[in-house]
Amino acid sequence: MGFPLAGPEASRDSETRSASAKFTPLPKMAASIGAVTSRALHSRRYHRKLLSGGRGLFSGARRLVAEGETHFGFQNVSETEKGEKVYHVFESVAKKYDIMNDSMSLGIHRLWKDILLHQMNPYPGTQLLDVAGGTGDIAFRFINYVRSQWEHQIKQKLKSHQNLSWEEISKSYQEEELKLPGGSQVVVCDINKEMLKVGKQKAQHLGYSEGLSWVVGNAEELPFNDNKFDVYTIAFGIRNVTHIDQALQEAYRVLKPGGRFLCLEFSQVNNPLISRLYDLYSFQVIPVLGEIIAGDWKSYQYLVESIRRFPAQDEFKAMVEDAGFLKVEYRNLTSGIVAIHSGFKL
Amino acid sequence: MRGRYVSRTLTSVLLRRQPQPSGAGAAAAANSSFPGAALRHFSDRQKGQEQPKAFDPALLEFLVCPLSKKPLRYEASTNELINEELGIAYPIIDGIPNMIPQAARMIDRKAQDDEPKQT
Repeated sequence: MGFPLAGPEASRDSETRSASAKFTPLPKMAASIGAVTSRALHSRRYHRKLLSGGRGLFSGARRLVAEGETHFGFQNVSETEKGEKVYHVFESVAKKYDIMNDSMSLGIHRLWKDILLHQMNPYPGTQLLDVAGGTGDIAFRFINYVRSQWEHQIKQKLKSHQNLSWEEISKSYQEEELKLPGGSQVVVCDINKEMLKVGKQKAQHLGYSEGLSWVVGNAEELPFNDNKFDVYTIAFGIRNVTHIDQALQEAYRVLKPGGRFLCLEFSQVNNPLISRLYDLYSFQVIPVLGEIIAGDWKSYQYLVESIRRFPAQDEFKAMVEDAGFLKVEYRNLTSGIVAIHSGFKL
Repeated sequence: MRGRYVSRTLTSVLLRRQPQPSGAGAAAAANSSFPGAALRHFSDRQKGQEQPKAFDPALLEFLVCPLSKKPLRYEASTNELINEELGIAYPIIDGIPNMIPQAARMIDRKAQDDEPKQT
């Protein structure tokens, strides 16, 4: 998913809190780790603290340990509720999703996604599973990348005078028409069928069809066989998953031994000055843009809140390691506004 | 262009009401018994004849039931993916399989036994 947001129903009952968060001056995420358990019990105090603009409030609140409870933006909700609310968010923003991503990130989300593809560096034959990939941003980039890799390989072979007959070349071009080079495939899996519908229409419009499939599925309960994919990607999606640990275990399961996990997600800004500007922009500008462009303030309020709730770089890295991945590392992009986490199933 | 799209959407909505396999769907099902043929039939679809609701049987290579993680059977007559063991059927809507257990249908075992076996 791109820049995840929230739907009209999504935060109906959180109006007051959302409104207060809106005017909270620069809530800064402290890096403290200990998760506060019974946040719900203290929600009133929490609310008051928010209004007073206290700092470091969001530190422990990011992850709730209490069974059956989780968060939706800055609200605490039951786990079932979270799933439903997130679903409504994306259902309501699906059609405006791409244009909102462009306007909110000033187009930078495209660069982040390009960087993800460069890091993946797929070769002809790579089998990719893109989870939460609704509108196809990663899948289309993957197809383009594999095609250009393949063309590059052909050129290299020609240059180095490897005996490549014209017959072979024309044959491989024909093959390319039938499927992706090397039999590459990308499966886009998203829990939200509205997002997939937009993605599939986009694919038809742009002429992508070969080696591309769409599946409605839950990241926590993937409908794919074990050891099937070379790469698993999730871009701006894992934040919206109710049980992140389960999603990571499922990623591990469906990857082939040697397969790579790649996650592009909002993270914690490491530069204090940029952090201030970023918070200002997030809380003061993004919901307004959401209202103007998509007519949906609350969904975009959820977006910025959910970003603050997501674990910081090192904490998430530890979660990826807990799922069994090795050689886990991350790199920050744009001062840590987003980060790419990478890990291998070895 | 837009008119064509609307009519296609309309068709798919109508088809969804009464799950009948479209021409391409039936062809895809026929192909599914030959693994090689499944890939080759991509070429037919590229000519712009693609039915938006056609299911691509090549996907069966990856897909399993999200609950049991066991392979599924494509049932062309109802356009569903069947888990025989658990007796549940996942719908395919506009060519996109919906693999959310909550969206699945419990199969009436008796009726299922009467159906001709595929694959």
